[in-house]
Amino acid sequence: MSGKNKITPFHKVLVANRGEIALRVLRTLKEMNIKSVAIYSEADRNCLHVRMADEAVCIGPASSSQSYLNIDAIVTAAKITGADAVHPGYGFLSENADFAAAVEKAGIVFIGPTAKTISMLGVKSTAREIAVKAGVPVTPGSDGVVGKNYHAVARKIGFPLMIKAALGGGGKGMRACLKEADLDRMFKTAQAEARANFGDDRMYFEKLVLNPRHIEVQVAADNYGNVVAFAERDCSLQRRHQKLVEESPSPFVDNKTRLQLQAAACNVVKAAKYSGLGTVEFLMAPTKEFYFMEVNTRLQVEHPVTEEVCGYDLVKLQIQIAQGEKLPFSQKEAATIRCHAIEHRINAEDSEQNFAPCPGTVTEWTPAGGLGVRIDSHIYTGYTIPSFYDSLIAKLIVTAPDRARLLARSRRCLDDFCVEGVKTTIAFHRKIVTNADFISGNTDTGLIERMLKQEKGHESQR
Amino acid sequence: MDTKLVKEVTDWLKTTDLAEFCYGNNGDSLEIKTSEALPEPAQFQSALVSVCSPAIGVYHAAEKGKSLPLSQGQKVEQGDLLGWIETVGKKHKVTAPCAGQLQAISVQEGAVVEFGLPLFFIEP
Repeated sequence: MSGKNKITPFHKVLVANRGEIALRVLRTLKEMNIKSVAIYSEADRNCLHVRMADEAVCIGPASSSQSYLNIDAIVTAAKITGADAVHPGYGFLSENADFAAAVEKAGIVFIGPTAKTISMLGVKSTAREIAVKAGVPVTPGSDGVVGKNYHAVARKIGFPLMIKAALGGGGKGMRACLKEADLDRMFKTAQAEARANFGDDRMYFEKLVLNPRHIEVQVAADNYGNVVAFAERDCSLQRRHQKLVEESPSPFVDNKTRLQLQAAACNVVKAAKYSGLGTVEFLMAPTKEFYFMEVNTRLQVEHPVTEEVCGYDLVKLQIQIAQGEKLPFSQKEAATIRCHAIEHRINAEDSEQNFAPCPGTVTEWTPAGGLGVRIDSHIYTGYTIPSFYDSLIAKLIVTAPDRARLLARSRRCLDDFCVEGVKTTIAFHRKIVTNADFISGNTDTGLIERMLKQEKGHESQR
Repeated sequence: MDTKLVKEVTDWLKTTDLAEFCYGNNGDSLEIKTSEALPEPAQFQSALVSVCSPAIGVYHAAEKGKSLPLSQGQKVEQGDLLGWIETVGKKHKVTAPCAGQLQAISVQEGAVVEFGLPLFFIEP
């Protein structure tokens, strides 16, 4: 451990991502007076991250598999530009252990946990085992990957249950199975999806908690075993396991539960000998009992919500930890709740056409502004959204001293926000912030689907 | 301004194969251009075929210890090896996409190149 106690300041960092998160990281690098390198595909020549960075290199054609997912090209780019660290952002290669290993092998620091930790926590069944050992509650399940006797295993857990891919994520390779009659069919489709998406078809089962909330805890751990947990984020508003709105603190979590959540998150992270920024995800039953789901070993899309609530720059914290610095604050400071914050993910999607991606040229871009408003976005008037990548175009982050004022501000911002040329989810967010269940804090992961169903019902009645 | 004169000059200019007419006298001057004198819209037409870098990396013309085998004006066949792009873990071949004459060599031994950078131009 003694060799680890050294602080090695970075001089130049390569940002291995695009879009708003590349800008997000570049901004912190500037404030820290660290030189930056952007990478881009041929489709992203006109992107803001290319302009904002001190240097930018083209690494491949538009298709992500040949550019932003091309480990060899990105490590080569880091080498030839003389970067001493790589920030992976989220998505793309951010949770790819092979990438972290390739960066480490090239003598460059990967800003994140070690390749070993990523691969260990990336296998969801291994992550569960770690949580069990740490005394953190997990949903009853198959205790690891299931074999040919999966029928017997499923019967033992009981229905309803979740079929999940060992290497899954983003809802891929995941099925809710309500009764045994559906098990064979659903197991096979989930497995095929897992094979296609992750190249791995190991599956496991978990008991399905009905009407759960998705509650997650941001954690940070340094190289010296110090761990802190921040106030929870409520990410219950999801559509097909894709988060739409994230809020902190959760209107459902009381102080006692909050402390329990933070302790549980810290225990998982300590048991995994984790270092860096991470997120521990929990499923919370209506009884406020919570179960460990997984650890995300990267910066998350919704990290600004926590930044606003705690008042710290989490990207800076990531970089400080990677440089070998100790955590600059205590658990008490990290968990302080300074305000209420919410994030609306604005996607270039047509919410009336089943949220189909809607790439194209943005002819007008007039984001909301004013007190308590933060926009993280890479869009400008005249920008053409390519069809190759994620449809997230902006994160609207709103803060206020309490939840009532927060929602009033959110409604005002969503009304102010003007985007022309492409369809966006802004209109759908307006429906969320005026939904009675959402306003009263009565949400669970099924609320969005219920809203959509209700809308369809109204339409057919007309 | 004498618009009649302008019209007369313009009409006359059309009967000639001149594209531009300038005349100056006592500080007055007249300058008329026909549409033919206007610059062509930027239409870059080149008979040259570019050979672009297939990857980000370092260009090597040949294996270590061997001399640069390429020179301007040299004839190449389709598929001829024009060098390598070395990345951290791979070596990407650079090959001639068509037969022809090597008209321009815009890369040097050991140069760092981005993906898509033109390395050579071939005249088919």
